[in-house]
Amino acid sequence: MNKTTRAWLTGGIFGGLIALISAGLIGFLAGIIAGMITGLLIAQTTILRTPFEGFRRGVQSGLIAGVFVVVGQLLRGLLINPIIDPRHAGLQAVYTAALGGLMLSGLVAGLFGAINTLPVPRNRTMSLGLIILLVIAYPWLDQLLELRFMNEIIPVIVFVLMALGLNIVVGYAGLLDLGYAAFFAIGAYTTGLLASPHLGVNLSIWIAIWIAAAVAAIFGLILGAPTLPLRGDYLAIVTLGFGEIVPIAVNNLDKLSINILGYNIVKDFDLTGGPKGINPISRPWLPFIGEFRADSPIPWYYLILVIMALSIFFIMRLRDSRIGRAWMAMREDELAASSMGIDIVRTKLMAFSMGATFSGFAGAFYGSYISAIFPSSFAFDVSVMLLCMVILGGMGNITGVIVGGLIIQLADRLFLPQLSQLVQKLFEKSDISVLKELNFASDFRLLLFGLTLVIMMNIRPEGLLPSADVRAELHDGDDEPVVGAGVKQTA
Amino acid sequence: MATQSARTSAGQRSIPWVLISRIGILIFCVLFLLVPLIGVVGEMIANPQLLVRQLIIGLTNGAYIALIAMGYTLVYGIVEMINFAHGEVYMIGAFIALTLIGLFDLTEKTPYSVRIPMLLLVLVITMFCTAMLNVVIERLAYRRLRNASKLAPLISAIGVSFVLQNVGLLWGYLRFPAMNGVMGVNAVAPKSFPSLLPNDNILAGLSSAFGENFKIRLAGKDLIVVIVSVSLLIALYLFIQRTRLGKAMRATAQDRSAAELMGIDVNRTISLAFLLGGAMAGAAGLLVGLYNGTAVFTMGFTAGLRSFTAAVLGGIGNIVGAMLGGLLIGLISALSDQYLSAKWTNAVVFGILVIILVLRPMGLLGEEGGQKA
Repeated sequence: MNKTTRAWLTGGIFGGLIALISAGLIGFLAGIIAGMITGLLIAQTTILRTPFEGFRRGVQSGLIAGVFVVVGQLLRGLLINPIIDPRHAGLQAVYTAALGGLMLSGLVAGLFGAINTLPVPRNRTMSLGLIILLVIAYPWLDQLLELRFMNEIIPVIVFVLMALGLNIVVGYAGLLDLGYAAFFAIGAYTTGLLASPHLGVNLSIWIAIWIAAAVAAIFGLILGAPTLPLRGDYLAIVTLGFGEIVPIAVNNLDKLSINILGYNIVKDFDLTGGPKGINPISRPWLPFIGEFRADSPIPWYYLILVIMALSIFFIMRLRDSRIGRAWMAMREDELAASSMGIDIVRTKLMAFSMGATFSGFAGAFYGSYISAIFPSSFAFDVSVMLLCMVILGGMGNITGVIVGGLIIQLADRLFLPQLSQLVQKLFEKSDISVLKELNFASDFRLLLFGLTLVIMMNIRPEGLLPSADVRAELHDGDDEPVVGAGVKQTA
Repeated sequence: MATQSARTSAGQRSIPWVLISRIGILIFCVLFLLVPLIGVVGEMIANPQLLVRQLIIGLTNGAYIALIAMGYTLVYGIVEMINFAHGEVYMIGAFIALTLIGLFDLTEKTPYSVRIPMLLLVLVITMFCTAMLNVVIERLAYRRLRNASKLAPLISAIGVSFVLQNVGLLWGYLRFPAMNGVMGVNAVAPKSFPSLLPNDNILAGLSSAFGENFKIRLAGKDLIVVIVSVSLLIALYLFIQRTRLGKAMRATAQDRSAAELMGIDVNRTISLAFLLGGAMAGAAGLLVGLYNGTAVFTMGFTAGLRSFTAAVLGGIGNIVGAMLGGLLIGLISALSDQYLSAKWTNAVVFGILVIILVLRPMGLLGEEGGQKA
């Protein structure tokens, strides 16, 4: 397949599906997304000389991708909507959104295409700037298009942040951690204990969030220390054991009694609130904004964006630092790294505790955001979902992990529920009783995750956007030369 | 500069991290394992009859855990991968068995002369289906990854386990009239098996002999579960030790490439390991369903981890070890249910898993250097 074809096909399928599944003005957003994907892919695959040529090529492909959006929008508006809701009229809105989606797709793809013709360091900055602009402008867009996605987007970013933390452990250091949600729980519960009326300690969230990250890091050390002699799948199972023990402990520590040699040290002490969890957790407060409220997600959105940006910067510096290079050396060959003078014990423990820190941070923010925490939010499937995000995007590559995380999380929190609603309404019209009962979102969720893991492992184990090293490693025996191995940034 | 960095790294190495972590584990063990253990032993001695009852439960649980553990140990012995989806194969086995029971319309009222051959037929069909399922899983999800990095098949197996769990969930929607209502009303809720095994106390006669205080109960179903499991385990053991195919399996486990050079079809041998493991898991699914009376689509995860712990405890790759490990884990979880609290049993089992993997990764019966990573 031609690379240009692949670019507009990918963008078009994404945009078209979004337009098909979510009705209404989302066609505009679908157009922007389709254009962005197409433009970025075009930028990677073709060599364009002048900005005008780039713009022309971008617009061409973007418009083709936009056609998918239009098709999706029209299918939804003209075919599906009348079935599920006969009273629904609004054809005007359908045409407007379809046309808008087409235009925006072409425009955005053209912009990215034009940027691509600039010299190398500048085109990267410009592309990045454009994406950042989109991200910053998102709340405004959300309001304009009446999407009301903000409350879903914030947990999505929290999970992407956690995936970045897991990427340190799995992607950089090569230690498969199947119990990563445990640190999320530890961070959230530390915040819950310190910043809520539960224990009577009511610290400000700004202090509690740091303590939570520190406590998670310490737990990373404690849980990492016994696993030092282990490798590969044994390590995975031990971390899975820890990941299971932590929620069980949190669930059962609501009537804690410690009785040593007849002395009752603690009796019926409610540490974690048991299955009920801890509620409410206090919210952050800032001058000019006041206390963050549950009904206005915009301050939360910008706060998590700032945390995200700082984390990405920090992780990038960490990756290129001495310890980051030690992680990667250890991942490639522990023995060789050790004989080159890398302290394996220290390097491993650093990986565990750094990974745990980010998870603890994310947990603290999440606890404060939803203002309540329950043991059930930290089960094994959370760990596996995070692993899915890292693997789908590409182990060891920050951009890849962000993309993979966004795809999986958005699919899980926005796409699946919407698809479920749509399918539900269609099934209700059918005569088959079983179909009416099916709850699409919860009944097929695991299946989709599972299939993602199996298919990715069998077809493209390095993920969508792999780092050059990992790709080279996983395609060791392949005859084709490794593309892009030389592009890797050096510190 | 170079010498300085060498000196600092040497200085860092002199901090005995491994020793510190060992001491930490020791303190943890004493505080959270030894101290409660003393109390538990006291309780056990105070009421020996209760202890015996729990040991009987532990023995039956151990029997089925050993059956599932076979699948882990056989596969790990040959391909050196943790077949994470194995617990789910057992769960699917329970669902297949329940479906068959519904299709054959077996109820409490069916006379034993019909019920016993029918149950044996259900056992055979279930074992066949799960065996085939396991072979297909290996073919589709693992075979291509055999020479990939070690993590790839593990992650693929986790994916398969999620898929199977979802299949179990959707299975609840299969409510055809022919199945005589075994799937209940709610698709997601636990399904209940008809109580087809005799639940009478065999030792009832003894209590008249020993008087009122004798309260030990041994139901017919306890015996049946143990007898069926043990005979399957013995059959498997004999198959691997005595037959040509078993010999091929042992050879492949020892050295795959050498076995291949000797003319053993390695792919077929690996498929055989998955086949045998799947069959054992299917039998366990039927037995547990009949014994506990319920099946739910989430049951595979915990059972799988317990069985994996059993396989590791005995020494993974070692068949007798897995049997012993299954027995020990069954006993430990039954005792923990009684004397600690059922809520903490899973944590206890995972704790044991962690401690074994850290302190003695080769397991009880394994040989030195058991961890091949």
